[in-house]
Amino acid sequence: MAGVKERKTTEMLEIKNLHVKIADDDTKILKGINLRVPKGEVHALMGPNGSGKSTLAYVLAGKDDYEITDGSITWNGEDITGMAPDERAAAGIFLAFQYPIEIPGVATMTFLRTSLNAIRKARGEAELSTPDFIRLVREKTKALDIKDDKLKRPLNVGFSGGEKKRQEILQMALLEPSLCVLDETDSGLDIDAVKIVSEGVNALRGPERAMLIITHYQRLLNYIVPDRVHVLSDGKIVRSGGKELALELEESGYAAFGAAAA
Amino acid sequence: MIPEILKTRAEQGFADQFIAGKAGLPGAGNAWVEGLRDAAWKTYAATGLPHRRIEEWKYTDLRTLLRDAYPPAPALAEALNGDDIAQALGKDMAGIDCHLLVVVDGHFRAGLSDVSGLADRAKVHSLGDALGDPEDWLKSALEQTRSDTVLALNTALMTGGVVLRIEEDASIGKPVHIVHLFAAKDAASITTRNIIVIGAGAEVTLLESYVSLGSTPAQRNSVTDLRAGDGSRVQHVKFQNENLSSVHLTNWMTRLGADMTYNAFQFSIGASLARNQISVAFAGEGTSSHLSSAVMARGKQHNDTTVVIDHAVPGCESREFSKLVLDDAARGIIQCKVKVHRGAQKSDGYQMARGLLLSEGAEFYSKPELEIFADDVVCGHGSTSGQVDENLMFYLRSRGIPEAQARALLITAFVGEVLEKIANEDIRAAFMNMAETWLASEDE
Repeated sequence: MAGVKERKTTEMLEIKNLHVKIADDDTKILKGINLRVPKGEVHALMGPNGSGKSTLAYVLAGKDDYEITDGSITWNGEDITGMAPDERAAAGIFLAFQYPIEIPGVATMTFLRTSLNAIRKARGEAELSTPDFIRLVREKTKALDIKDDKLKRPLNVGFSGGEKKRQEILQMALLEPSLCVLDETDSGLDIDAVKIVSEGVNALRGPERAMLIITHYQRLLNYIVPDRVHVLSDGKIVRSGGKELALELEESGYAAFGAAAA
Repeated sequence: MIPEILKTRAEQGFADQFIAGKAGLPGAGNAWVEGLRDAAWKTYAATGLPHRRIEEWKYTDLRTLLRDAYPPAPALAEALNGDDIAQALGKDMAGIDCHLLVVVDGHFRAGLSDVSGLADRAKVHSLGDALGDPEDWLKSALEQTRSDTVLALNTALMTGGVVLRIEEDASIGKPVHIVHLFAAKDAASITTRNIIVIGAGAEVTLLESYVSLGSTPAQRNSVTDLRAGDGSRVQHVKFQNENLSSVHLTNWMTRLGADMTYNAFQFSIGASLARNQISVAFAGEGTSSHLSSAVMARGKQHNDTTVVIDHAVPGCESREFSKLVLDDAARGIIQCKVKVHRGAQKSDGYQMARGLLLSEGAEFYSKPELEIFADDVVCGHGSTSGQVDENLMFYLRSRGIPEAQARALLITAFVGEVLEKIANEDIRAAFMNMAETWLASEDE
């Protein structure tokens, strides 16, 4: 965390008193979340199933199944709650999905290129030429052990759970977002895949990037060591601490933190 | 002379056309052809145009939808050149490297065609000429006994088309492209028939395009009779982009030999009213037929694809896969009947129809039918309809892709999945481009 204090105070994700319900009914999910993740830091958000972790991830990315009834979310001092998902992506926000979506008929390479160029365009940058784009993808896929034939296939169709998660990290590496939200990225992965994915995430750690790692288990945090750990229970953050908090949770379970074990 | 069953102006109009015009039709003076036309005419006159109480025409009631019978298009009236053909086809289709056969307003035009590359692998004739003194094999191809009055009307009034015979074991790399062009200055009807005979062991890609030059309304009634020999490998593709004031009635009648593969595709974006009728009959064992279609329709376009697959012999496989993108108040119909005859054991049939509805006013009708009279068969069907998936939209948008672009990408992907069934890369790429163009013109 050295050096972080000199950073401008607005360069962070700041969530204040966030209340969220499901748009179609009155089910309240988030009940007053307060959270700050400055650039350069990696925070872990842990909690039992049903505590609201994934809802927070979706709300950050702008899914319209949810309605914010109170509170605010700012990124680098700018209120993002009125922004469309693609505008948020252009502002540097990236959600790695817990369940990456299969898109039949869209070749992975086409998708990656469309996405990267859309974001570059929104940022006022020129589109990448085909050779430059291919070179860039090659470089990123190598590190993640993604085979070329996967890039020709429709996005995520017929991919294993581990392959889908690696695709998420590939997208993250290509788009170079400044706020990365990873929702249960370790779920469904064997230990080798956890290592590969973690290395991919760690490679992206840096002073210009904030990360929020959402996870149910402590395991992932052995590989991606967080600066801070927060415990979410029933729509509220009930405790925050250093990385040792994750180990404590692993031993005592969520019940010890006033959270109902799922 | 004209039976009282004929009720509507259009029905009467076609009847009058035959009476007034039969002496001038190709084959007039040949007793066999005249007999064929007279018999077909009687079949038509006895029942008139099909209507909704006939199950196969339930969704496409021609008695209601056809108000008038347009006069036959004048023969060889228009002076055209290759640029006109390219213009009507559009740049994507015109760019396909092919052996070109051109039929204008119902008449084969040798001068606009180029079959020099087919040399001794295939023979091409004008049907109009062949009717003057038809050989026995052609007679048997022209004799159809089914109770289909649109087919009967075609037999009575056909003016021309292509007769194509592909030699045994011939391998033809480039597609043989039959372009049916409507170019008449005034509203007109066109009645054509293609007779295609593919020799045993031959390999060929047939492409039929139905297009128009200009926006003059047309009524097209076209039949393609295809017989494929044992062991042949056939791709058969149709592209339909007639102008939006046209009526397009086509009927593919396909008969497949043994141990062969038939891979057919229809891509339909034009015409105000389109009826794509396809029948595939298995005449030999060990054959597979894969039939797919893509329809994109908007405004008040009506597109009906009606398929009958006839498993008359054992051990054949049939697949039908359809995708329809329907916007505004467009109406899309898929009817697919798979018949498995007694004794046609080990038949394997599956059909799937998917509709993507882009607006509340669009309608999709899917009617699968299975008639199975054998006990050792695998047959199934499926159908889905829905809107653009919001979860997919969110995923794409979360990756920075703006809403309109994300929607277009998903619709293209929906169509792309069925276009993948086309083996010929040039044709597939041309269709893909046209699907994208169609989407891009959505807001016009």
